[in-house]
Amino acid sequence: MEKKSMIRNATVEETARTWPVLPAALALAGIIVFIFATFGPPASSSGFVSLLKGFLGPILPDYIARKEHYRIIPGPGSWLFAFVLGMAAGGYLGGLTLGKPIRNVPAIWERRFGARPALRYAASFLGGFLILFGARLAGGCTLGLFISGSAQLAVSGLYFGAVIFAVAMITSRLVYGSPKGGKK
Amino acid sequence: MTQVLLGLFSGIAFGFVIQRIGATDPDRMARAHLMVEPQIPQFMMLAVAFSALGLAGLQAVGVGRTVILPTSLVATGTAAVLFGIGWGLCGYCPGTCWAAAGEGRLDAVFALLGGLAGTAVFAHFHERIIPALYLPTNKGPLTLTDWVGNRFAAACLLAAAFAAAAWVIGRVWKAEDDDA
Repeated sequence: MEKKSMIRNATVEETARTWPVLPAALALAGIIVFIFATFGPPASSSGFVSLLKGFLGPILPDYIARKEHYRIIPGPGSWLFAFVLGMAAGGYLGGLTLGKPIRNVPAIWERRFGARPALRYAASFLGGFLILFGARLAGGCTLGLFISGSAQLAVSGLYFGAVIFAVAMITSRLVYGSPKGGKK
Repeated sequence: MTQVLLGLFSGIAFGFVIQRIGATDPDRMARAHLMVEPQIPQFMMLAVAFSALGLAGLQAVGVGRTVILPTSLVATGTAAVLFGIGWGLCGYCPGTCWAAAGEGRLDAVFALLGGLAGTAVFAHFHERIIPALYLPTNKGPLTLTDWVGNRFAAACLLAAAFAAAAWVIGRVWKAEDDDA
């Protein structure tokens, strides 16, 4: 009982320190419009291809030259890779200035599956595999297809967005049980 | 070089804002998907609404570059199902996992590594998957403008629909405390 109220207090405190929805959405839209003006449609999943191209290029130059997927995306000396690297730096700065302890295993996951980091890391690896495989097949991710695409009025972005939200919501129910996330 | 600096700057700003709304926290992302915390999906809907209007403004003055990705009924749909399973499972997107890894979350580092593996596997089979799944049902780069007729009207319509979605999410997503 005591533990439960501690979790709730932590959540309230955290919500108080994070930004309200409207100014945060305006800030993000400002950044997105800036990116459209100075680069083009913002994208994150392409940064993975750029990084791999940089890794594999010196080891397997023939393979990289032969593979269509590496031909269509520039290497790590590009906006695409700089952007995801910047994301990591932005997340670091955000975490540093928020001053909230970071969890390696989310609380909701721990309540459902216990404090077994290896299980969470394996699930995260699998989840990461699926989001990138899917994003590369569709040609973009939450940002590169749903947000960028929808802002450009692209039907592909709207279609992708509707399906990812629906499937993620169903998957979360299956993973966490009830909306209370196994907190019984 | 300018492009690299612009990318870096844009990424830092983007990563900071999504950290501040809580989108790098898989706990909050899971609660959003479980319909008990509305902030993240509302933030995403409103960000799209404002971006669509801002981009319409840019285009009115002839600034910026757009790329409309095609809609392939089978490939875009299959990709979205796989993506949704992964997103629901780990609570990270290809962008948020970078920011969350930077924040120091170890599970995000594993999501990032899994992402690199997923990218490598897709890239390896690209030549076989694209002709099989993508091309047969590729409907081309469709946009709402094709249906509405006027680009600015279509942008306003989309922004209104996304703002309405944010409002509906605020009504339907119920906090855990309200359940009793």
